[in-house]
Parts: sequence; C-alpha cells; structure tokens
Amino acid sequence: MTPRPSRGRPSLGRLKIRITKSLHVVKLAVRGYSNGRVESVGAVTVGTVALCVWPMFMVCALFDSARGGSVWLELSVVGTTSAVIGLFILRYARVPKYLSTARLFRALASGTLASLGIVMVGLLATGATGSITLALVEAASTITGTNASTIDISKIEPGVMLLRALGQWIAGAALIVILVRVLPHLGVGGLDADGGVATRSARRLSPKSSGTVFRLLLLYVMLTALIGVGYAAAGMPLVDSAMHALTTISTGGFSTQLGSIGAYQSGPIEWVAVGGMFIAGISLPLIFLAIRRKDPKRFWRSYEFRFYSLVVLAAASFVAIFARQPLTLDIVRSSLFKVTSAASTTGYIDSASDLRSAGGQSLVIIVMLIGGMSASMTGGFKVMRLLAISSYIGRELKRVIHPTAVLPIRVGHSSIGQTAFSRIVGEIFLSLLVLIPGALILTNGGLDLEGAFSFALSCLSNFGPAFGGAAQINHLSELSGIGQIFSAGLMVVGRISITPVLVVLAFITEPLARTLRRKSFGRRKMAVR
Amino acid sequence: MKKIKGTPLRVSGSALVAISLGMFASSGVALADGGGGASGLLVSALLILSIGTIMFGASSVSDRADTPVALASVAWSWLAVSIAGALPFLMTGSIPWAHFDDALFESISGFTCTGSTIFSDIEAVPRGVLFFRSMIQWFGGMGLIVLAVAVLPALKIGGLELIANEAPGPTADRLTPKVTDTARRLWLLYGGITLAMIAALMVVGLSPYDAATHAFTTVATGGFSPYNASIAHFDSLLVEFIIIAGMIFCGANFSLHWYAFKNGPKAYHRVSELRWYLGLIVGSTFILIWLNFGNLSLGRNIRESFFYTVSLGTSTGFGTSDFTIWAPAAQVVLLTLMIVGGMTGSTAGGMKILRLQILVRYSFREIVRARHPKAVVPIRMGAVSIDEQIAAKAVGFILLYMGLIVLGGLTLAGLGVEPVTAFSGAVSAIGNAGPGLGEAGPVSDFLVFPRLGRVIIMFLMMFGRLEVFPMMLMFVAFARAVSRSRHTIRQ
Repeated sequence: MTPRPSRGRPSLGRLKIRITKSLHVVKLAVRGYSNGRVESVGAVTVGTVALCVWPMFMVCALFDSARGGSVWLELSVVGTTSAVIGLFILRYARVPKYLSTARLFRALASGTLASLGIVMVGLLATGATGSITLALVEAASTITGTNASTIDISKIEPGVMLLRALGQWIAGAALIVILVRVLPHLGVGGLDADGGVATRSARRLSPKSSGTVFRLLLLYVMLTALIGVGYAAAGMPLVDSAMHALTTISTGGFSTQLGSIGAYQSGPIEWVAVGGMFIAGISLPLIFLAIRRKDPKRFWRSYEFRFYSLVVLAAASFVAIFARQPLTLDIVRSSLFKVTSAASTTGYIDSASDLRSAGGQSLVIIVMLIGGMSASMTGGFKVMRLLAISSYIGRELKRVIHPTAVLPIRVGHSSIGQTAFSRIVGEIFLSLLVLIPGALILTNGGLDLEGAFSFALSCLSNFGPAFGGAAQINHLSELSGIGQIFSAGLMVVGRISITPVLVVLAFITEPLARTLRRKSFGRRKMAVR
Repeated sequence: MKKIKGTPLRVSGSALVAISLGMFASSGVALADGGGGASGLLVSALLILSIGTIMFGASSVSDRADTPVALASVAWSWLAVSIAGALPFLMTGSIPWAHFDDALFESISGFTCTGSTIFSDIEAVPRGVLFFRSMIQWFGGMGLIVLAVAVLPALKIGGLELIANEAPGPTADRLTPKVTDTARRLWLLYGGITLAMIAALMVVGLSPYDAATHAFTTVATGGFSPYNASIAHFDSLLVEFIIIAGMIFCGANFSLHWYAFKNGPKAYHRVSELRWYLGLIVGSTFILIWLNFGNLSLGRNIRESFFYTVSLGTSTGFGTSDFTIWAPAAQVVLLTLMIVGGMTGSTAGGMKILRLQILVRYSFREIVRARHPKAVVPIRMGAVSIDEQIAAKAVGFILLYMGLIVLGGLTLAGLGVEPVTAFSGAVSAIGNAGPGLGEAGPVSDFLVFPRLGRVIIMFLMMFGRLEVFPMMLMFVAFARAVSRSRHTIRQ
C-alpha cells in the first residue's frame, strides 16, 4: 500500500485524532457510568462540571504549594469533594433519550450555577473573601470573565490567584464548547443556525461539531501561549505573564497586580495587552480560517471585522480628542488601551488615568456595550447584532416611503432571517428589563446614579470597571448584600444571555400566566385593543 | 398670478397666520399688564401675519398627496412656526439678538411641548412675553393632537396605525377627506378642556393670567410656567391636584376622550393602553413613595411622588421641588418614566405606552418561542392580536429612538457635559419632558449645556416630537430634491 500523501500538518492531524478519540472514550465512559434512575440532563451537567473542576483545583493546589502558599490543602479538599459529589450525582442521573430545547436550556443554566457554586465554595474555603455574597460576586466575575473584584490582590495566596485566572480561562474554553455545541440548537439571541449569522461559520469548520470544538480550543490554547510569550518578551515576570495571558484571551481581566496592567508602568507591556485584547475580540473561527488557509485577506473580507476595527479606531481617536491633550505616543497607546479593553470587555486598566473626560467615559461605556465580534470570548452585545439592528432601522426608514417593498435585513453580503432578528430584539429588550431594576437596586444599595448605571451595564457586558461612585476600588464591598447578589446575577445574565434564565424561570411563570389569562378573560372580551 | 404648487408652503403659511393671532393676544395681555413688551409683540405679530398671508396666498396644494409630501408639510411647518416663535423674544429684548439660537431654543422647546428653558430668571421677563411663551406650547399641543391622532397614524409611522385601525373615535383613514373634520373635533375638545382648566384654576383662587398660562401648558403637557419655582410658587394642594388631573387627562388619547364624550365613559374600558397608562402611574407613585420613605415627611412624600410621577410620566415637566436631590434610586424611576412617556394620540411625548406594550409582548414572545421553537405565537394587545408588520415598525421605532438617545447623550458628553446630565438631557429632550437629572434638574435651566449642545438638544426635541421618522424623511426628501434638481440642471 502506498503511503498517503502528506497533508501539510500530519502531526496536528494525528494529535487531533488522538484527542478526539480520547474525548470520545471519556464521553462514552460518562454515558456508561451515568446510568442511574433519574433522567435529568441538568443533573448530568452538574455532575460533569463538578467532576471536571477537579484538575483545575489540583493544578491550583500544586501551584500554591510550589509557591509556598498556605491554602493548597483547602483547594485540594474542595476539588476532591466536588469530584466525589460529581461522581455521586452522575451515578444516579441519566442523560434523557430525547433532548428537548427546554432541557438544553436547563442544562445550560444548571451548569452555570454549578460552576458558580463550586468556585464560590473554593473562595470561601480558602478564606479569600469574607461574606457569602462577596464570594458569590467574586465567583460570578470569575466564571463570566468580568473584572469586578473585591479581593485585595496583594494579600491573597498564589493558589487563589491561579484559581481566579484559570477559572476565567476555563470558563472561556467552556464558552467555546457552548457556542459550538449548544447555542446553535437553542438559537439564543439570534445566533442560531437558520438565518443566524455568527455560529454559521463556527459550525462549518469541520463536518462534525466535535472537530470544530477541537480546532477552536486548539486555537484558543495557541493564542494564549502567543500572548503569554508576548508579555514575557515585553518584560513581565514569567508567572505574571502566564496568568495575564489566561485572562487576556478569555477577556476576563483579572490581574495579579493591584493596578492591573498599569501597575507595571511599562509601554511595551501595555502594547502587548492592546494587541492581545484586540485579538480576543475577533471571532475565533475567523482567525482559524485565516490561519488555516494562509489568507490574511479573509479578515478584511469579513464585514464584521471591518466594522469592529472601525469602532475601535474611531472610538480611540475620539477618546484621545476628548482628553484635549497634545497628541503623543502615550496618549495614542492609552486611548487604544482603554478602547480595546472596553471593546473586548476585558477590563484591564492602564497606567495613564488622566484621559478621563465626560465624553471619553461615555464612549468607553458604549464601546463596552457593543462588545467584540460574535463567536469571540467577549461579552457585550456583539458587533454583528449591532450591524443587524442598524440595517433593520434603515430598512424601516425605506419602508415608510415604499410601504409594500420586500426588503431583506442585510449584513454585509448576506441577509439574516426575521426569526433571528426578533431574537436579537428580544434579547436587547429583555436585558433592558433586567437592567432598570438592576440600576434601581444598585442605587438603593448605596451607589450614585452614574455609578449604578455604568456598573450595571458593565456587569451586563462582563466588563468590570465603572465610573462615578463605582470608580472606587472598594465600591463593590460597600454595596448592600442584595446589590451584590444582583450584580452577580447581571454578570451571569450577561454571559449566558437573558433568554436561558427566563426560559428556566418560565417553568413557574408559564402556568401562572396561563391561569391569569383564564381568570381575566371576562374583562378582555370587551377590550378592543 | 401663478400660484406655486407646494403643500408644505401652504400649510406653513396657515400655521404662521395662526401663530400671529397668538402674538396679537399676547400683546394685548402685555398692554393690559403694563410690564412692557407690547410693541415688540405687536411688530412681530404684524411681520409674521404678513409673511404667513403671503405664503398662504401664493401657494396652492400640490397635485401629489403622498407620504413624503405630507411628512414634508408637517416637518417644514413645525420648523417655520419655531422660527417665527423665536421672533417675539428677540423683538422685546428678552433675549439679545446675539443669542438668537437661545430664542430659537425657547421657541422649539415651546412648540414641541418640551418645557426646557434657557431663562435663568423667568420672572424678569415681561409678562406679555411669558404669556406668549405659554401660548406657544398651547399652539404646539394643538398641532400635535392632529398630528398624533390623524396624520401620523394615517402615514403609518412607527406602528401608530394601530390607533387608526382599532381605536374608536375620529381617526382619519385617509388623510385628505377627513383630516379637517377630525381636526375640528379635536380642537373643540382641546379648547373645551383648556377652558375647563382655566375655570377650575380660577375657582381655587388663581388670577386669570396665572390660570390661563398654566392651563395652556398643562393641556399641552408642555410644562412652561411663568414662575421660577414652577407650581411650587402657589404652594397649594388644590392647584397641584387640578394640574395633576389635567396632566393625566391630557396624557391620554384624545380620540378616546372624544369617543367617551360622545358615547359615555364606557369607552375607556375598551382600551388596554389606558389600563397600562394608569397602572404605570399608580405603580411608579407607590415605588417612589417607598424609595423616598424616610427622606421626606409622609405628606410631602405622597404629594411630591404623585406629582412627579404624573408630571414626568406625561412628559409635562412641571416642578414642585428639586428631585435631583432625591435618592438616586428614585431618579432612576423618573428617568424610566421620561423614556416611556404618555399614551399615543395625546400631547404627551416619550416613546409611548402603546409601543411599550408591543415591546413587552414582542420580547416575551421570544421566551415562549425559545421554549417551544415551532410555536406560532401572536402578539396580543388586549383581546386582539396585532399584525407582525406593525410590531416590526414599532420595534424599529424604539430601536431608532434609543439609538438617538445614545448618540445625543454621547455628543453632549463629548462637549464636556457630565455624563448623567448629558444622557438624562438627551432622554428629556427626545421625550419632550423638560427637566433632566444631574445639573439640568427642574430648578435649573438648560444653560448648563454649552451652546453647541443646546443646538443638538433642539434637534433632539424636534426628532422626538415628530416621532423620529418624519424628521429623518424630511432630510431624505430634501437630499433627494437637491440631487434631482442638480440632475435636471445638468441635462
């Protein structure tokens, strides 16, 4: 038999086959093991999550003991306990034969809650945070990649430090899996397969979705390594650069220093961070395809990428203009840093703080709301949806003049379907419905108006820093307990989007609404509209 | 003489004639009061009257009567009266000629029934001019109800055809034959309410001048007051109560009022929007009372919470105290009320309750659809389900509305205004409410914004008042006309 012709990257191919095979074996093992009586996909997810955090906690414990920390025992106990509980749950639960949409939603929500709970227990056990609500906020900002922290970083153990960074990174990796494997079936927020835009490219990297997941995860790891090398080359200590690489690519934003990236007072490091955050805001499938096909023009061909770069560049120039200072390289770097940090919703802070202006602050908030490209690790609203909405507004304007015209909602060269669009709109307005009570509760908890709104928006976009009264470093720990719980809730809503949360709640609300409708029908009969 | 065919010109001319009548009346008030300004008002009245007569006489109705023409008429006549309304402020010397943009601001704020002012000491202005200032809002409201009840629904702007299709009362299905009829009935109602308000305010002891000026701006949900302290000047529970009742009444649909007037109050039961409107007012009042609990004495708390809920919920903007010193949480509620605004078909501004209703149904439908992906779920309003197209228009409107708030707030902040003031100013301007939060509160004036910022706020007020789309289309139509004429010249 003649040997097969070389495919360019034989090692990658072999590695891929090996990893997918072993993943498959793991999957089969989980399936075979979890064959209990209770048919619940939520329980299986919780069990799997509890089991999967074990290596993470173990790595943290090892790191802690190697660096002379004192919490390695607590970390390994929490990790092992969670793994045991996970095994226990998996033993008695079973994956249902038929996976309905509602069940998938439940799985998503329970998986998020489980990881939230485990990280919270880990933080409480190591004594990193005082109260339960603070631990909740801390855990939420870890798993959602928000840089809103109450912990005094200079005092915490190395193990906890790694737990925070690694938690954000793994949450990012989990997001890739969710993005490719789960969301296309749910169609959350218009990112669905039929007529949706973003995951369409994400799903077609390979014929099988597990292949796509593998490719994207590999890219994720490679980008992390690249950014880490970049930081190290720019002069950051080795351990710090590794941790910062983890939180840069996952757009999490936790830092090992009190003043974030700005603490190093180094231009080159900030430039690397700017580059890293910009990359983190780009759609991963797009990067993958551009590298795989050796075709950098692919970036330029992507309508969303062009708009994303335009937003970043335009916003950065306006931030620089609003600062009303002579243009130097430092100003350019600082304004680019602020804008990329917001656009990728990372939440790093740089050394220059004199760029504060009313316009600059508002612009940063708006860029943060827009967020990065779809199918990236960023929070926020995503550039693609913004494009869809502006195209829709344009169409409605045209329809006033030509009422019967049939016009598609165009984004670049493709058009998106009505269903996907209504999902996008639903997503925005439902988030608004959460935002306003959120701002109300935060103001009642002790923040001023600007602080409350900017912090609520910041949590909802998984950004972290905020302005006004929320610009102080300890604003979160001084917030009332309900305010802390609510900000954690906003972060979770921002990450997995509002629809799954409400769908899960719909178990209670739907029968309630039905009863109410029946009761009030008598009055409605006479209503005209 | 050959007449120019242009509906916009003719409509603007007739509007100018109407405004000049208001100026004559105000100059009469100024003369009787003796506070000065009578000659300035008279000169501007004569000037505007002659311009209006010439414009009206020299033009005739266009052959075409399609949407762009109607929209252009509305937008251009609004612009014309706004410029004309600025004249008396300049002529009487209340505002120096060097600040003609401030006069324009005051006039636009009046005609759009917003109520934001650039006078830091209102009581220093001659009473005749202040009477005219209140009258501007009354005229604005007059144009507005016809616009809101008859014109915009007929042009199917932003989902408003729902009123045309389903609300009872004098609505115009087609613009040309019925609109005069509709307008006559609505104005009858409008004038009647104004007279009733004046009478009620006089009964509780206000002077005819105070009663008239406040009745004008209450009925138009405008919010100009000839006193620096606004309604707090009287410090009377009865006056506040009458004004609250007037604001609630005028923030509701006028065609509904007409129908109720004709067929009895049962008509009010039939419209779910009214239930939402009243529910929102009652609910927000209770939330405000709860949030202000402990900060104000109970009586004061109930009185002010109720007053401000109604004042901002109907986008009037009268003030009885300074709410910018309330707890921030209470201000969030007020801001939300400003965004939502009153009912469709009324003189109130904001995004309108009807659209909020559509929005809530539309969004919650997505949750049902997420759970049951194949379900066909109609968007219900009360007992009927509404057309997908209408919902799409309403959603498009809301998106554009929010986009303008963000854009306006961002520009104002870029000019150096503190963010809370900038964004709440944008919300207040586009919702035609009047006061904002932060530095632009009810006891402050809009001079806190820089000069360029006030120009932007003027545009936002116009956009908000004309329901965004006509204003956009006016620019589109204008650009098209320019390019067409250039095209013809080249040929």
